[in-house]
Amino acid sequence: METRVAGVPEDEESGLLPRPSSRGPRFPPPPASWATVDGPLGLPLEDAEGHARRFFLWGFACLPFLWAINCCYFWPVIRSPAASLPSTFAPIRPYVVRSAIGFTIFSVVLITWATTFIVGGEQLFGPVWNDLVMYNVADKLGITGFMG
Amino acid sequence: MADAAAAAAVPGDAPAGTTVLDSLGEDITRIVYPVSACMLLVVLLVSLLSSPSSPSPLSASIAAATGGVSGGGDDDIPTALITALTFVVAVTAATFLLALLFYLRCTPCLRAYLGFSALAVLLVLGGQVALLLLSRLRFPLDAVSFALLLPNAAGALALAALAPASVPIALHQAALVAVAVLTAFWFTLLPEWTTWALLVAMAIYDLAAVLLPGGPLRVLLELAIQRNEEIPALVYEARPVDPRHGRNWRLWREGTQPGADLDARSTVEVIGEVLGRNLDANSGNSSSSHDNEADGDVSNSRPRVTLVAAFSSSDSTVAQAGEVSALPEHRVAVAEMSVPLIQPRPQRSGEEAVEDEDGIGLSSSGAIKLGLGDFIFYSVLVGRAAMYDYMTVYACYLAIIAGLGITLLLLAFFRKALPALPVSIALGVVFYVLTRTLLEEFVVQCSTNLLMF
Repeated sequence: METRVAGVPEDEESGLLPRPSSRGPRFPPPPASWATVDGPLGLPLEDAEGHARRFFLWGFACLPFLWAINCCYFWPVIRSPAASLPSTFAPIRPYVVRSAIGFTIFSVVLITWATTFIVGGEQLFGPVWNDLVMYNVADKLGITGFMG
Repeated sequence: MADAAAAAAVPGDAPAGTTVLDSLGEDITRIVYPVSACMLLVVLLVSLLSSPSSPSPLSASIAAATGGVSGGGDDDIPTALITALTFVVAVTAATFLLALLFYLRCTPCLRAYLGFSALAVLLVLGGQVALLLLSRLRFPLDAVSFALLLPNAAGALALAALAPASVPIALHQAALVAVAVLTAFWFTLLPEWTTWALLVAMAIYDLAAVLLPGGPLRVLLELAIQRNEEIPALVYEARPVDPRHGRNWRLWREGTQPGADLDARSTVEVIGEVLGRNLDANSGNSSSSHDNEADGDVSNSRPRVTLVAAFSSSDSTVAQAGEVSALPEHRVAVAEMSVPLIQPRPQRSGEEAVEDEDGIGLSSSGAIKLGLGDFIFYSVLVGRAAMYDYMTVYACYLAIIAGLGITLLLLAFFRKALPALPVSIALGVVFYVLTRTLLEEFVVQCSTNLLMF
């Protein structure tokens, strides 16, 4: 049984990389839930409301993906039903819910249109289909030529 | 020995209870995954899209831009060397310009430039790659949806790449990897000798710029150390292993406002202490040993260095269709993001810009940071290897990962900014040559004699 000498590492491996000398008091327990999906690494609560509002408003500038980012980032806020939310989430929730609704509407419209286009093909659209398909448009405009 | 190790690992004082061995593997994995993902995506794109036989207009434009020593468009060594040299000179000039701007504290210009280059890469290169994919796969997407989706996706990814605090970490990392993939794919369109010359030249430049006393990156690094600021740049930061060291937790725990002087000091314990934090042990207030690290002890720790080459002012707009004019723009854009620097970063003042840059280092949250330029050039090497055969891809991939591991080891050992490119590129090139000359012959002989495969 070797005697412990202060400052001397206790095992062979810690030669190059010293251990922490003292750990200090333990970490306090975390809050009940974090507002963002990143948890302790995410946005602090004070900034969260302003952030949610900003993303919601900017999404109206034809940027629906900002709504999607808003929903994904504040997923814990949406996930639990409104009754069981901590009160700190209450200002954030309306913006996030509205962002979710906005993104759902946008994606439904887009997917419907794209699917109709792909499945319908020329039978549905007639010769206009060939003018709208992206690879034809790209060839016509010559923009695929840049990268060869 | 096992008993001593077990006894040493037992002490119940550490709330984490982890040793470096527990978290170091995770840290390294979290940096190897995105590098591998980037390389995989570039290999996929190259396999799907490249037609190496036809000389692309890009190579013609390069030959024109460099004065076409051998009669334009030919892929030979003098042209390649001249192109590589031109690129390195451009990157050096841009880095010095960046250092000057940083010295003059023009942080908004730097951030604006970063935003512009990220958006340009995602919009232009991303659009090109998307169009090529649609054409090659004959996927009948209509023009309206494409026009709606592309600017949206480009804007969202650019935002995610530049403002890591506003988006989920996974999205931020994915956006950086996307930027790296697109830039690397663009580089693989260069002719073969030019690509290899460029890789070797960039590796040598990286080595010189970081380690020589007059090198631009070193100058930038010293400026940043002196001022204890971060240089704005595009840098990939792995998710810290222990989330309790996150900024949010700290703020919640201490009930302070964000932006206060407290830095997110959580780092991998052993490496953090290696950086000399335990030398500053003075505080009794903070509940983590990391907070002992005072803001003031600059001399012990070195901030990360980001290699962000400043863009030269007279860049042509991205909208121009001219290949020659677009070339320097992209050249600088790439140089902007390439930070072949690995730095350990022990501290970060609260009010500084959040962007981090360059090579391998340790972030304030203790995770490993790797510059985007390293991602790009690793992927260029593997992508070029993919144009030959998959055998070279496997060999180069393993060589690069081994080089990355060696560089991380050196980082932990030296604890200062290190270039991430030289070791990996050297190993990659050596193994590419060996595979093409020796291994292929061997495998072909074995196959024809029905010995393997």
